[in-house]
Amino acid sequence: MIVFVAWLLSIGSFLLMMLAIGHFLVALILIIPTWKICVRAGFSGAWALLHLIPVIGAFVVMAILAFGDWPNGEATTE
Amino acid sequence: MGTEVAALLGLAGLGSAFALVSFIVVAWMAWRIVAKAGLPGWTGMGAVLLTLTAVGTIVPLVLLWVFAFMRWPRDEAPLAALGGPLGGQAPGAAPRPSTPGAPTPGAPTALPAPAIALPDRRGWQLTGKLANGSPIALAVDASSAAWLLTGAPPAQPTDLCVPDPSVGQPHARLMIAGNRLGLADLGSPGGTLIDGARLLPEHGPRDITAIRTIRLGSVDLSLSKA
Repeated sequence: MIVFVAWLLSIGSFLLMMLAIGHFLVALILIIPTWKICVRAGFSGAWALLHLIPVIGAFVVMAILAFGDWPNGEATTE
Repeated sequence: MGTEVAALLGLAGLGSAFALVSFIVVAWMAWRIVAKAGLPGWTGMGAVLLTLTAVGTIVPLVLLWVFAFMRWPRDEAPLAALGGPLGGQAPGAAPRPSTPGAPTPGAPTALPAPAIALPDRRGWQLTGKLANGSPIALAVDASSAAWLLTGAPPAQPTDLCVPDPSVGQPHARLMIAGNRLGLADLGSPGGTLIDGARLLPEHGPRDITAIRTIRLGSVDLSLSKA
């Protein structure tokens, strides 16, 4: 029984680690362009690091860019 | 057993509703972000909607990279924001004859058209002193439609460096339209004053052709024709 639990825990830990690494890689692919967009908009590029927060990070970055006033100016709406 | 199935179905339904709402909100935000960059809003929303198709998330990811590094229309046409009578007769254009047709015999003939005034192609210059006492002189001409005033070292030929800690990086944008000069504050904490009046980012571009001094942070600059 103990062996089975230990096996289960090791499998779980391994899967969790793989999940974390996968999330980090995906976040990295998103962080680079988002950093560039934030800087061009006039915000600090560090806002792009919110992508590291699972689930809600990307939402928060998008909300900042979508609803915040861009310090570097926005295109005028006709 | 029935209760468990109902609970599972309820959970799935709740998850689906949450996913649907999130999807709509993300598409809306993508629309706004892309529109702020000057592109049609539907392109941003379309990129998000692509995730519903068989191409999955690869294409929106590629589009995100393209959007980040492409030229934005916002950066290309700041002149239109200047407003005012920029249209109409182009400088240097021939004047329209006031009396069309040949003059009738005996009638007084119209005077010849006056000589066309050459447009003033001189640029502007901003001169002043930094907080440490060193003089600064910046030249602005029509070789570029937009110039960026920044406290950082110039990264592009159109960057005008005002090396003072009170000047933002970037601080303000200068725009040239014909013989007119515009200024837009970019929200730097140091603030921008034109002839003593505060210019805020929400004011948009202001015509400063007749302005004598502008203040960037704690740096006063005199504006004059070059």
